[in-house]
Amino acid sequence: MDAYDAGSAARHGPDEETRDAPPAVASPPAPPAPVIPEPRTGVAALSLRYQVGAALALAVVAIAVCVHIGMVFLHVAPLNTVTKQHGKAIDDWIYPEFEQNWKLFAPNPLQQNIAVQVRAQVDTADGGTRTTGWYDLSAQDGRAIDGNLLPSHTQQNELRRAWDFFVATHDAQNRPVGLRGALSETYLRHIVQLRLDRANAAGDGGVVERVQVRSRTTNVRPPEWSDEQVSDRPTDRILPWWSVPAEQTGGAGGAGALRQAEEGVR
Amino acid sequence: MNRFALGISAAIARVTESALGPYQTAVIRIGFTATWLLFLLREFPHRQELYGPDGPWDFDLAQQLIGTNGSFTALIWSSSQFWFESVYAFAVLTSVLLLLGWRTRTMSVLFMVGVLSLQNRSIFMGDGGDNVLHLMCVYLVFTRCGQVWSLDGRRARLAREARARGERDRPDRLGPVLWAVLGFALVAVTATGRLDGDLTVPVILWGVWLAQAVWWLVGRRASTAEPRILLDVVGNIVHNGALLVIMAEACLIYATAGWYKIQGSRWQDGTAVHYPLHLDYFSPWPALAELLSSSGLMVMLITYGTVIVQVAFPFTLFNRRVKNVLLAAMITEHAVIAVVLGLPFFSLAMIAADAVFLPTTFLRRLGGWAARARGGLSRLLRRGDDRTELPGPRTPENPEHAHVGFTA
Repeated sequence: MDAYDAGSAARHGPDEETRDAPPAVASPPAPPAPVIPEPRTGVAALSLRYQVGAALALAVVAIAVCVHIGMVFLHVAPLNTVTKQHGKAIDDWIYPEFEQNWKLFAPNPLQQNIAVQVRAQVDTADGGTRTTGWYDLSAQDGRAIDGNLLPSHTQQNELRRAWDFFVATHDAQNRPVGLRGALSETYLRHIVQLRLDRANAAGDGGVVERVQVRSRTTNVRPPEWSDEQVSDRPTDRILPWWSVPAEQTGGAGGAGALRQAEEGVR
Repeated sequence: MNRFALGISAAIARVTESALGPYQTAVIRIGFTATWLLFLLREFPHRQELYGPDGPWDFDLAQQLIGTNGSFTALIWSSSQFWFESVYAFAVLTSVLLLLGWRTRTMSVLFMVGVLSLQNRSIFMGDGGDNVLHLMCVYLVFTRCGQVWSLDGRRARLAREARARGERDRPDRLGPVLWAVLGFALVAVTATGRLDGDLTVPVILWGVWLAQAVWWLVGRRASTAEPRILLDVVGNIVHNGALLVIMAEACLIYATAGWYKIQGSRWQDGTAVHYPLHLDYFSPWPALAELLSSSGLMVMLITYGTVIVQVAFPFTLFNRRVKNVLLAAMITEHAVIAVVLGLPFFSLAMIAADAVFLPTTFLRRLGGWAARARGGLSRLLRRGDDRTELPGPRTPENPEHAHVGFTA
């Protein structure tokens, strides 16, 4: 390594056009023989006592590297004899910081467009109640991504992954499973509130009282050159109405607060 | 038997006496930090929504989830807006400094803190690209990734040259100050119970901090050269181990992606690529997608090609030439994915990971181009002003060095 640097510096010397570079760059024209600028390092330079230390370090690192690679391998491998027996040990090693999943588009790519849509029940300024139409939030995301060289995670991942999270933590009757189920519900509600707020769904003086989310799943049509047939009919999954807690009717997140601030100025 | 023993001892000599792949580790350092930096700048307008205390995944939700998994994030230490902005700025700053290779080891730790703090704060915002960065920022800490193409490398070179002129070493004043400040912070967060979650990150933080103290003490106080050489050897061993982990991780990414695809009916019937191109979330250029998937043969070739390349890649490491061909194919494919599927940061992170397998000769040439481009630029800007910058490795190809390339 050192040899490379010294070598490149030396070879660079003669090319220097300006002479006000640091003098050392103009190290004596390198002889063709290899340059050895520093005494030999590595274990060879050590006495036995220190060599034992180096050997110990080598052993520890070698074991750590093998164990880590092995654990990561077992983590990404399919369920097998070893993972069935030692799943707990593997998880303890991997989670939380080394978790990984490389199965995007595998075993099969997603073949459906899943649109997450929302509507709201609004208490209007004149004391009435109104139900809005469905807002297709995924379609909004899709439009934001169209022609975009740098899609934001807020457009590409936020809602999409929140919905995946919701589906993964709820049963077919939309009942939450465990703490994560409850968290995913609140999270999804916050997202739709934020988006309703941006669309000013409540109107002037109105307040969003309840929200309802549904997903509309449409098959991607097979390629034109394929003779496959799939149904064009979307399938819906409709969640129950969720009440919006009073303190959050302004909308979750900075955008809500921001918009209120702007309105205050007006 | 004798040959076997010789081989072993040669291998031991190799992994102990030098930190292998100086250019490879430098290029991934630059690649990952640049990816993260560009990501942070891109998302700057959306930072509140992604990671802020009042975003959809608000402080309360994050706290509950982290309570169950114990992952590390500094953002959970306070729900104040000021703290959030500070951490975001810290993440930007540390990625710039690590990119430049300034105090590389310290910055690699702080870079890791920045990446994990933001990502673990809102894990449901990320995708595969974030996942790559998450892992690699941890592995980078263990490498000597600032040997070349870095301010540290430049500083070391200048010091070497000064020594060659017979000047005495100037003591490093900033290093100990930085160490003391960070140590104070580390003690403070540990004492207040903020590192009580999972042990991985606290162990790394404390380990590196103590190792730096030992390094400094031995460098100044040791009466013989041996303790210093031993530490250097240990540093090399750790670096080489981490480099191996990084390469293995890259292989596991491709192997997982490839082998699972083989099991999928769409990858088998040759139509798989058609589908992502028609998902609303991954089709920024519908017309382009239409064009790409208009030919069944084309789609099939890309579909099969993807699987073949991904499955084959780890095995091609045993042959340099084949490896380089596949590497070029994969980097190209990721560049295409960046645009066609609208995944620029994922692709950048993957290209950075691929870069660890690039041959040294190519990287040195790349460095030469970069240095010349910069030289030309600064000449343009300063019109023949003094240029004292580092020459940059612009050596013509040298087969002698080729073996460093891909350490295998």
